Amino acid sequence: MEILDREVSHAPIEARSSTLLSRRELIRAALLASAATALGPLFSFSQAIKSGLTPAAQGEDGSRFLSDPNWKPLFFNEHQNATLIALGEVIIPATDTPGAKDALVNRFIDLLLSVQPVDFQKQFTDALTFMDAESQRQFEKNFVNLSAEDQASLLTPWAFARAPSHWTARNKSGEEAPDHAQRNFELLKALIVSAYYNSEIGQKELGWDGEITHGPYEGCEHAAGTHT
Amino acid sequence: MAEDVSKQTYDAIVVGSGATGGWAAKRLSEAGLKVALLEAGRIVTAREFTEHVPLYQLKYRGYTPEIAETRFIQRQCYACMEYNYEWFVNDLENPYSTPADRPFTWQRLRVLGGRSLVWGRHSYRLSDVDFKAASRDGYDVDWPISYADLAPYYDIVERYVGISGFAEKNEMLPDGQFLPPMKMSCGEVRLRESMQKNFKRTLTMGRVAILTQPHNGRAPCHYCGPCERGCMTFSYFSSPFTTVKDAIKTGNCTLITDAVVSHVDMDTSANKAAGVTFVNRTTKETKQVRAKSVVLCAQALESTRILLNSSTREYPKGLGNSSGLLGHNLMDHVVGGGASGTFDDLNVLPNASPPHRPTGIYVIRFRNTPATGKQPHFIRGYGFQGDSMPAFNFNAPGIGADYKKAVKRGTYNVSLGAFGESLARLDNFCEIDPNLKDIWGIPALRISMAHGKNEAAMMRDAGVTAAEMLEAAGAKSIRVTTGVEMPGMAIHEVGTARMGTDPKKSVLNAFSQSHDVSNLMVADGSCFVSSACQNPTLTMMALCVRACDHLVERFKRNEV
Repeated sequence: MEILDREVSHAPIEARSSTLLSRRELIRAALLASAATALGPLFSFSQAIKSGLTPAAQGEDGSRFLSDPNWKPLFFNEHQNATLIALGEVIIPATDTPGAKDALVNRFIDLLLSVQPVDFQKQFTDALTFMDAESQRQFEKNFVNLSAEDQASLLTPWAFARAPSHWTARNKSGEEAPDHAQRNFELLKALIVSAYYNSEIGQKELGWDGEITHGPYEGCEHAAGTHT
Repeated sequence: MAEDVSKQTYDAIVVGSGATGGWAAKRLSEAGLKVALLEAGRIVTAREFTEHVPLYQLKYRGYTPEIAETRFIQRQCYACMEYNYEWFVNDLENPYSTPADRPFTWQRLRVLGGRSLVWGRHSYRLSDVDFKAASRDGYDVDWPISYADLAPYYDIVERYVGISGFAEKNEMLPDGQFLPPMKMSCGEVRLRESMQKNFKRTLTMGRVAILTQPHNGRAPCHYCGPCERGCMTFSYFSSPFTTVKDAIKTGNCTLITDAVVSHVDMDTSANKAAGVTFVNRTTKETKQVRAKSVVLCAQALESTRILLNSSTREYPKGLGNSSGLLGHNLMDHVVGGGASGTFDDLNVLPNASPPHRPTGIYVIRFRNTPATGKQPHFIRGYGFQGDSMPAFNFNAPGIGADYKKAVKRGTYNVSLGAFGESLARLDNFCEIDPNLKDIWGIPALRISMAHGKNEAAMMRDAGVTAAEMLEAAGAKSIRVTTGVEMPGMAIHEVGTARMGTDPKKSVLNAFSQSHDVSNLMVADGSCFVSSACQNPTLTMMALCVRACDHLVERFKRNEV
């Protein structure tokens, strides 16, 4: 799943008091004013058919579905949800910045999977089941019941590219079997990473300051030939 | 709507309000003609733009099931997103068919402004190497016009639209009327210098229809990034807020939205187009509009569909199709070849609060040029679009705190993707599917197109040349692609009603006027004789203005 990293703007602010305007809001207000002039009186919003607008174009803030205090999973069972929360926190822990749990990564993945095709849903839940199976095999406990150290030690071998071992290279079979475990891990990691970095917390982790515009782009300011 | 459109006789009906339809409406109404501008979709306003909405405010962050259900073809377009998918046609309502072994993706919008709302904005002139390509390599025929015929119209369009870029004095890509260019990154400067030194090839800043200074009442770009979600300052060119607005301001242009045109109506005794019939998108009511001339600007495939659906006893194979060529020679730039890599020694950290430059760089065609001579494996050529910017490294290995750090350290990426010329071929065509209609009851298209050996050889070469140029500039971790993507993916469909001097070998004359029906024009990309490799919209607009000026002259001489 692709990670979209170009999303760095903020919500409309028209309703707030002007004394509370931040720099971001002032910029947006300035942009709106110049837009109103350029638009002129030709087209009015009422001419647009509201039902023809996407929820985003209607101004819906879809993040409220995740922050609902009465949130319940739409797709996962309790154990799957708990396993995913634990996995998220090992892959993207809270450090000096918040981690996957704070970013409600499990809730977004639950919402996303609730509308995905059955085969993709199954791939994901199979991967969660696999984590428990491996955890049982190595530590005789489900993943959620492992210590943080054991959780990390279970996942770490799958988190790096694999070089063929000299042993298997010399072995008769020639090639190593495709690594089912690694594929399961990579699926879980990809969704957790995407859900984390595309959240508001994740954007701030990457250094987003909440402004909608930072222009103009100044480009390379070095002397000719500096880079060659 | 103030006036009853069915009781008027307009001087001209313009079908379609996109890049070309907007120009036709502007040019004709400013010359004093009474114009009816028909758009199949609804009005679009700046209030529904979403360019400043962060991804986390979308319920499914880009993966809404609505797109999978209703835009299962449109989603193949990079610009069709949870933000704006309602601008794109509903694939359930707008079917078309293809042979099973010749897939084609038809990506289109039906709203005021059409694809000009989401276009890539790259704007390049064609040169005489393109217009007279057949004379050089013997394939197919030359255009009936030369660069000198079109240059003044490129000037008109560029001055109005506002194209940022810089002059290169390169015979393959004539310079134009440029606003100051956007800036290149360190990686791009490195690639430009290395390419010039090692290969004598030119990497220039993308010439784009995005303002870098105030222009014709519009504000310059504020570098928020995603133009395809709209622009509240109208800094990139889209027709509703420029040409269409100007047309309406004249008082001579009536905008009729939700008008899904089914066919052109003929005055058979006079052998002239009498108007068009349309179905109201929401009420499904059928109406006619009358006019002294009809200008189709619905996009190549859609304009062709309208003409094929307008057959009469005199034109049984489609209106204006005495040549039998209508629908044939469908072209779309071939894409799929290219390379990417990283400049590991450029130590610039990615930044989530940067100015977002909404465009990239362009590598000017260097194959089969007068300067470089003949290539052994293919004719014509390709250009590259691309960019080089630091980016977060979400693919970093590992877990935990170290992974979080590695993501932020990022990689300095560089990539080049080719757009190659698609050769005109008779067996790449569209026709009416006798068994398929859209939800307004209008017969739908069957599109049959495949790229050929020449396009495949070109994409292989593009992968190789991109990789060697990246390598020479010091890029690491280079990955090459040499495949050919499905036709339609470039969204540059042209050529289904080619222009020419011989009515037996072309559908339109050199002014985009039907050889068969003198008051019928097709003023979008349908008229292209060859696709060249440059993004076509600027040339479509210039050809449209030229065609409209010719129509105005004929009105003045009372010839219409």
